[in-house]
Amino acid sequence: MAGSSTSYYFVIIGTKDNPLYEAEFGSFKQGGDGIPKFREEQRHMNQFIAHSSLDCIEDQQWASKEMYLKTVDKFNNTWVSCFLTGGNIKFLLVHDTRSDEPIRQFFADVYDLYCKTLMNPFYEVNMAIRSQTFDQKIKAAAKKYL
Amino acid sequence: MFLFRLRSSRVFSLAVTMVVYAVLILNKAGGLIYQRDFNPGLQKLSSNDYLILAGTFHGVHAITSQISPTNETSSSGLEVLESENFVMRCFQTLTGTKFLIFAEPRQQNLDVVVRRVYELYADYVMKNPFYQIEMPIRSEGFDRHLTSYIKPHQ
Amino acid sequence: MNRDPSPFRTASTASTATSPTPKYANLTASTNLRYSLTRKSIYDRHLNRTKTSELSKSAFAFLFGEMVQYAQKKVYGVQDLEKKLNLHGYAVGQRFLELLLWRDGRTAKRETRILGILQFISHQLYRAIFQKQADTLEKVRENEDEYMISDNDPVVNTYISVPKEMSQLNCGAFIAGIIEAVLDGHCFPAKVTAHTAPNEMWPGRTVFLIKFEPEVLEREALRVGS
Repeated sequence: MAGSSTSYYFVIIGTKDNPLYEAEFGSFKQGGDGIPKFREEQRHMNQFIAHSSLDCIEDQQWASKEMYLKTVDKFNNTWVSCFLTGGNIKFLLVHDTRSDEPIRQFFADVYDLYCKTLMNPFYEVNMAIRSQTFDQKIKAAAKKYL
Repeated sequence: MFLFRLRSSRVFSLAVTMVVYAVLILNKAGGLIYQRDFNPGLQKLSSNDYLILAGTFHGVHAITSQISPTNETSSSGLEVLESENFVMRCFQTLTGTKFLIFAEPRQQNLDVVVRRVYELYADYVMKNPFYQIEMPIRSEGFDRHLTSYIKPHQ
Repeated sequence: MNRDPSPFRTASTASTATSPTPKYANLTASTNLRYSLTRKSIYDRHLNRTKTSELSKSAFAFLFGEMVQYAQKKVYGVQDLEKKLNLHGYAVGQRFLELLLWRDGRTAKRETRILGILQFISHQLYRAIFQKQADTLEKVRENEDEYMISDNDPVVNTYISVPKEMSQLNCGAFIAGIIEAVLDGHCFPAKVTAHTAPNEMWPGRTVFLIKFEPEVLEREALRVGS
């Protein structure tokens, strides 16, 4: 991966393994500019890595009662962290440096935003999230913690 | 829930003895939509006669609300009918539904009773999604709560 | 747009009408559409804002009554009607489950066992919605895959008297839908139905019969073995 700053790929997966929302962002820590530095082929790989981790999650979700499953899968130098909600919605973050606690805080904010989305009577479970406000708030949370 | 229970037992507590003979409810067109006796030994009318009684009372009530000698624009109409053997209390709601309570002549606080019956009607008839407005009342919940309100005092 | 996340907290009932309090005083009423003056969206509203607020039982009874009447249109028979009520409850349950777990914060736990999830429903979920626990939680002796949760006096049925020709109907199907959504959310797919089971003390007693899909029991058996 180019440069010293980290890049992240974030995706929300519905109950039928369908993507609801996805975003890429770079780190603001250590002088980063927040712009993802994925090479073009890596961007496709991210989706594959996230998708293949779903099987690992299915194994691990019954071993623990925690919602935050920490890193669930590893592919070369890339980790996948997962947060599983009560309604079986998965938040996946593909990242190339390990840091459990900031990711936990990030997921907590995402869960808050997801619950608020769900309070909208026009939104139903498994619908793609297209709200611009949601997008802005996710990126703000990423900037804060990642 | 808790507040609800508290309220019902507090406001409408009655004297220990209460003899209510019958409860009738009339819709705004004068049709009988509910009739119930509370003492088994009472003289009964035929169901047709009850309908006639309701219709007649409706007319009488309309007349009595027009004959006020004072200048006031509206009168409540007939409210109490007393006789040697019974007393009848009538209460008309803002929408024209009438509640008639027949009771023993010495019975006190009939307006409290009629209010409570009105409240039960508002709760167990009007909030029941299967009740069609102005139609005869067939609500098991209303029957049950009316019984448990009136019977223990008899 | 904002939805009250706790619609069944019931306060004192008022049979006679009470005037509504102007809760959204900061909203403009000049147009038919209501926009917040501060342009705040659903994302700016704290999820705990209505955590402790209560709702008039009468208001809920009228709303639920209208819902039942609406569901009665275009249905063919009692089963169809119960299915519709179940679906309405399902949508509520999906949302309520996430909200409840969100409110537990870092201590939130996903239940992974049948007994755990059933206790979660009859205790936490029931208390959050109705401010009381469910009255019993039992296993059906004859059938491995069936459980029962009973409620002596379901709030939704307080003012409802079902006519004789529909005696099979129990509007608790709505609550059954909520329970079903919570079970489904936790990957315990099941059919939940509401049945009237009166006793001398409680004429409106309702039993929610939970029948799990076979794969749930299979998984549970595997986990006991490991």
